[in-house]
Amino acid sequence: MATYHEEGSMHLPRADAIRSRLIDTFSLIEHLQGLSQAVPRHTIRELLDPSHQKKLMLGDQHQLVRLSIKPRHTEQITPARRLLSRLPVRCSQTPPLSLWAGWVLERPIFTYFIIFLIFLNTIVLMVEIELQESTNQKLLPLKLTLEVAAWFILLIFLLEILLMWISNFFLFWTNAWNVFDFVVTMLSLFPEVVVLVGVNGQSVWLQLLRICRVLRSLKLFARFRQIRVIILALVRALKTMTPLFMLLLMFFYIFGVAGVYFFESYTRSNRQDLMFHMYFLDIPNSLVTVFILFTLDHWYALLQDVWKVPEVSRTFSSIYVVLWLLLGSILFRNIMVALMVTNFQSIRTELNEEMTYLEVQHKADIFKRQIIQRRQYQSRDALRSSQSKNDTSEPSNLEKESVDLEPEGDEIKQNITKHTSMVSSKEKESFHFSEFSYYSSDSKDFENIDMLDWETHVHQNLPGLMEMDREERVVWPRDSLFRYFELLEKLQYNLEERKQLQEFAVRALMNFEDK
Amino acid sequence: MQKARNDHEFQAFIQRVIESPVFVMLMISAISMNAIIVVLWTYPDVRNALFRLFEIAQIIVLASYLLEFFMKVYVNPIGYWKQGYNLLDVFIIIISMFPYSFFVIKGMHYSYLNIINGLQTLCILKLIVYSRAIRTLITSVGQTAKIVASVIILLFLLMFIFAILGFYLFGTSEMGDQDNWGNLAVAFFTLFSLATVDGWTDLQQELDKREFVFSRIFTVTFIVLASFIFLSMLVGVMIIHTEDSIKKFERELKLERHQNRVEEKQVILKRQQEEVSYLMQTQQNVNYKSFSDLVESFKKTLNHTDPIVLDDFGTSLPFISIYLSTLDNQDTTIYKLQELYYEIVHVLNLMLEDMPQKQQSQSFDEVA
Repeated sequence: MATYHEEGSMHLPRADAIRSRLIDTFSLIEHLQGLSQAVPRHTIRELLDPSHQKKLMLGDQHQLVRLSIKPRHTEQITPARRLLSRLPVRCSQTPPLSLWAGWVLERPIFTYFIIFLIFLNTIVLMVEIELQESTNQKLLPLKLTLEVAAWFILLIFLLEILLMWISNFFLFWTNAWNVFDFVVTMLSLFPEVVVLVGVNGQSVWLQLLRICRVLRSLKLFARFRQIRVIILALVRALKTMTPLFMLLLMFFYIFGVAGVYFFESYTRSNRQDLMFHMYFLDIPNSLVTVFILFTLDHWYALLQDVWKVPEVSRTFSSIYVVLWLLLGSILFRNIMVALMVTNFQSIRTELNEEMTYLEVQHKADIFKRQIIQRRQYQSRDALRSSQSKNDTSEPSNLEKESVDLEPEGDEIKQNITKHTSMVSSKEKESFHFSEFSYYSSDSKDFENIDMLDWETHVHQNLPGLMEMDREERVVWPRDSLFRYFELLEKLQYNLEERKQLQEFAVRALMNFEDK
Repeated sequence: MQKARNDHEFQAFIQRVIESPVFVMLMISAISMNAIIVVLWTYPDVRNALFRLFEIAQIIVLASYLLEFFMKVYVNPIGYWKQGYNLLDVFIIIISMFPYSFFVIKGMHYSYLNIINGLQTLCILKLIVYSRAIRTLITSVGQTAKIVASVIILLFLLMFIFAILGFYLFGTSEMGDQDNWGNLAVAFFTLFSLATVDGWTDLQQELDKREFVFSRIFTVTFIVLASFIFLSMLVGVMIIHTEDSIKKFERELKLERHQNRVEEKQVILKRQQEEVSYLMQTQQNVNYKSFSDLVESFKKTLNHTDPIVLDDFGTSLPFISIYLSTLDNQDTTIYKLQELYYEIVHVLNLMLEDMPQKQQSQSFDEVA
């Protein structure tokens, strides 16, 4: 590695990064190893663009394509689109049934129809329950129509589920809302089927199952977006609280089982006036008692009851109860509240992420425009000031060396500007730099005020700019790109040298002042 | 600080065993078995039927706890005692040994036997070590412990004041409510009952029966202070601190991830550099002195008219504009600095001319 850093003993990470970029872009390593791979000439976007594609196909088909991997905010790829791009679908004469089913499901008319049916179902059920008790003969046709309507609605729901199955069977089960729909519909279907089969319709179970019809109204939750968002937020908040619930369960177990042991003598005592005698009898009872204590209900009465039995040691029982109250109902309850609040806040910020992303993009756009304007202003200014050159003579050695560095930097800038003037990008900028010298003093103040803002400005907007979905690509001529990378690397070293020279100057000055 | 151990290979082996998933599974099953046995012990018929089995199972469980303990202490004798969860392990082992030791010391029917048995349930707390989520929860909540403790101590002080007040108001005289306010301990319980607003109406009724003058004001004041203000304050304080600690935790996680990514990038960069230097060293034909010579021939193959389309940030126009502008700003600052230096030199020069000759010649040598 000794031959690597030929620029003295400096080791700049930035220069290394630039060099590695160069090596990557031109795939130099493969080339130098003799594998001599051609540099990819095209990008993926050219391939996908139909007009370009034709040209490519007509031309040389052995060219390489550069794959650029960047995180992009792509829009949602629906399964329908995926299905459309599959080969069997494209080559067949008729579209498959699943496509049609998916199309029907997405029609707004269909969704509104289903929502209307759900409402109708609720109303029908309400009226039916009211009329069930009355034996008025005139209402018989009404009852019949209600029954028919209920059956009809049930059939339509079944049809909808069938449509969803046709559209995509496996995706149906991955979506929790669909599973919920399915369960509710099956639950309400079950009693009807049982009645049809001929089982005696008087058992309590059947009555209960009929009530499940009401659950069909719950299907409404899946349809409205706002309700969905709220329920999703709630479920996510609960999910983040699962460790808390596990810990709580552990404590329930500890205090429940320990309670059975501690209050054994209380349970076994023969006194007749104990109100809470059965409360610590065995494990299920003890768990219920622990829960009752958790909700702070009648704990003092329980404790006083336990004190009535002389065999139970008062200290232990009071320690048990007070400890569980402090730990469980006071501490745990408040931890739950605190976690809920934190989670809701973070969920809300995540839901706003889309908004903030767009905002950042917008700001980055403005920033870009500002840069361009600034550049143009500076170019005009520099042209004006190049005539009135600043003639502060530089007698000291230090100044001379920095002047040597400057032409290097100038050359870089000139080269870059000359080459970039040939690029064919979407923005037409013309950099008309001929010479580039020191700024005149009247622009000094402007620079001063702007400089502080400039840095913070750049730092704030740079990430947004970097992540912008750039539609524009820059067409580089190859040798200029190579030269650009080379010069950039050299610039880093030069800047570093200049910094060191400045430090030398400062130190020399300090030594001088000490005398 | 750790001196090298002579048996470090064995130590590493034991360390690996402790962290292996098989061992973890074994421990978790031992703890669950312990938990189930403790539950089943409560049913007397089951206990009588499978008495021997339970004893043997408990001995096995205790043996596995001790095994884990010894292994961990062997691996890290000094550092073991500094971790909280290991102290919990030791505590649980001591508790598990209580029944047998008491049985040996005091015989079969010790009066506090049921309490000892009840304490066995604490063994399930060992499961916390194996669950990362619960551990993070406890650490983030544990940081609020100090504040919570201080609030509870404040509440205790308040209760103390009111207990004494209540004792002297309601509990001393013969007509007073001796059951609830008779001595300090009972008064505390009464006040706690008021603070958790459970069954306080009954207590208030007792006081009303004896027709005390201030009882209502007393009770209401205490309830407002303790239940409404203090307990709500507890909730508020916990919310704020939990938020802070969770945010801090997430930030640390992000930082760690960022560092990992940076490290990976460095690794890739280094590999590239090594490849290039290797290439340079193994070139037999020409002795390349530097990287630029190496790629000179490659450069000649590049055509100006051959385009490359790039869309990464480093070669895009906004980047170039920003970079050049920043460089310009840098230049202006440095020029200004240099002008300032020059002024300083000039002024000092002038000062020197006013000083005697001897020192002047000395300082001239320095500057030159």
